Amino acid sequence: MRFWEGIRLALTQVWTHKLKSFFSLVGVIIGITFLIAVITIVEGMNRYVREDFAGSIFGVNTFTVVQRSQVNTGPQSSEQRRREARNPDLVLHDVEVVRAATPGAKQFAYMTDRFLSEVRSGGERRPNVRLIGGSEDYQEIQGWKVESGRGLTPLDQRRALKVAVIGSAIAERLFPTTSPLDKPIRFRGQQFTIVGVFEKQGGFIGNIRDASVLIPFSTYNQTMAERREEVEEILVKVNVAAEMEPTIAEVEGALRADRQLRPGEDNNFWIQTSNDLLSAWNTINRILMTAIPGLVSVSLVVGGIVIMNIMLLSVTDRTREIGLRKSLGARRRDIMFQFLTEASTLSILGAALGILVGLGLARVVEEFTPLPASVSGISLVIALALGLVVGISSGLYPAYRAARLDPIEALRYE
Amino acid sequence: MAINGQRDGMILTRGLTKEYVMGAETVRALRGVDLRIDRNEYVAIMGPSGSGKSTLMNLIGCLDTPTAGEYVLNGQAVQDLDDDELARIRNREIGFVFQTFNLLPRATALHNVELPLIYAGMSAKERQRRAAEALEKVALADRMDHKPNELSGGQRQRVAIARALVNEPSILLADEPTGNLDSSTSAEIMTVFDALHASGQTIIMVTHEADIAAHSHREITLVDGMISAEHVKTPVAAGL
Repeated sequence: MRFWEGIRLALTQVWTHKLKSFFSLVGVIIGITFLIAVITIVEGMNRYVREDFAGSIFGVNTFTVVQRSQVNTGPQSSEQRRREARNPDLVLHDVEVVRAATPGAKQFAYMTDRFLSEVRSGGERRPNVRLIGGSEDYQEIQGWKVESGRGLTPLDQRRALKVAVIGSAIAERLFPTTSPLDKPIRFRGQQFTIVGVFEKQGGFIGNIRDASVLIPFSTYNQTMAERREEVEEILVKVNVAAEMEPTIAEVEGALRADRQLRPGEDNNFWIQTSNDLLSAWNTINRILMTAIPGLVSVSLVVGGIVIMNIMLLSVTDRTREIGLRKSLGARRRDIMFQFLTEASTLSILGAALGILVGLGLARVVEEFTPLPASVSGISLVIALALGLVVGISSGLYPAYRAARLDPIEALRYE
Repeated sequence: MAINGQRDGMILTRGLTKEYVMGAETVRALRGVDLRIDRNEYVAIMGPSGSGKSTLMNLIGCLDTPTAGEYVLNGQAVQDLDDDELARIRNREIGFVFQTFNLLPRATALHNVELPLIYAGMSAKERQRRAAEALEKVALADRMDHKPNELSGGQRQRVAIARALVNEPSILLADEPTGNLDSSTSAEIMTVFDALHASGQTIIMVTHEADIAAHSHREITLVDGMISAEHVKTPVAAGL
């Protein structure tokens, strides 16, 4: 029997039993949906982390000094984490130590931040805002660009003025129709004057920046700080990548000396580079990529078993048809081919449906959450190939049973 | 050896034997049948149930192989052929007509008739042309796109006959072809058979009804797996 003849026959069969076909495909559809949705989102995250995150958020050739590690970059013992929690907080004194140790740095900044449950202006309010108190070069070292108005100046810092540069999401919410410049903004019982608005960034991490308010560090220190002179991060940007390691070593040595740590004693501070974040992401990525095939194959095996059962039922239902076809000259391989094609068509249809639903799901996730999505062509090919494999392997036994039927008994079957 | 001297016979059997093992018992369905049927014969195989007529029919139709004995169809010994070769012979040489029609319920009359041609590996265009032609021969040209449940019993059996004939087989093999039909429809179907025979078709039918068998030119009666009587009628006696 010709190939297309088999496909047409299979499609007719699937179409005739629409509901039965659909239910027999649920397992495969779920498996492939999951595969496509997760891969599309993980792939989106991958692109995001590789192309934007490391560069624009963390900055190239930049390292930060923090009280303790912020990202879990690998297996850390809880004992280690408890010890880090006892590290002393960073204060302005540490800033001076680091600054003295990095005279050749391209840029140098420090900041502290806190979470605000809301900011207000006029009658409008915007919840969930990150308030940053940044030193002079903070916005520059972060690569944040001001879209309208101005950024913070040395004068703002020196005089500890109550001025703020706000993120685009806050500007949109508080001033949907007017310009936010020179307008007041209130939080924690204080009133600041808006002098600038940052460029909209968007995206997974960008959303956080779009919902940030930047004020001078000195102002923060005087009006907002829970503990005076507290610093969250000290940021150092070097000129070229080759300077990273020696500069980090300098900073490490200076801080250890200042804190009078004995040789062999652990650092009671943490130096973080974008590599830490990348390797943290790679760890997550690796776990996901190991877990997905397992989860997907479980649902595909279940889906395959369902298809096999449906096909076995179909062989029994159509025993007379098989007998008739044999009496009309169908060979074993023709019958075998017919049922294999049917199972494969069914399963590939399921995979195609799964792809559609999966892509739809990824779109929905992209639309309503900050998670990015990126369709990888290879995952579509893999999904269809998996559909074919499931179809053939689950159709093999039923097809064999059908092909082996004795034509006389099959014709007599009631 | 004796068979070699009778090459012109379309069907030749010598000592055709079929045994089934049912549990501990061996059932001897056929016990050495010698038979010769020539081209353009019109033969009825009769006998009570359990006489072995269905078994003989299955062997002649190459749906089964004998336990012992020889069967030569159109000069080819078929008793030792394998499954695929038997399928090819069924496809080219035999046209089956069943008591229960055995049409695919969801396929049109045309597609039902096309089926044997699919297994003959014919192109779709050629298949449709020949299937349409076969349906015209049984006066169903206007019912090609109907499904079996939109056809009467007689029309269904005529679709089945068209299907049996579409590959121009050597033998039309009918198993109780009127068993599911009322008497007037039976007469209609037998008219089709008679006309086919008149145009040169070899017909073998299994029946237990004497008035159906009366259309044939030769009646072979089986009892207990052996031929017990053979009755050759002159064309006049057969009503022609």
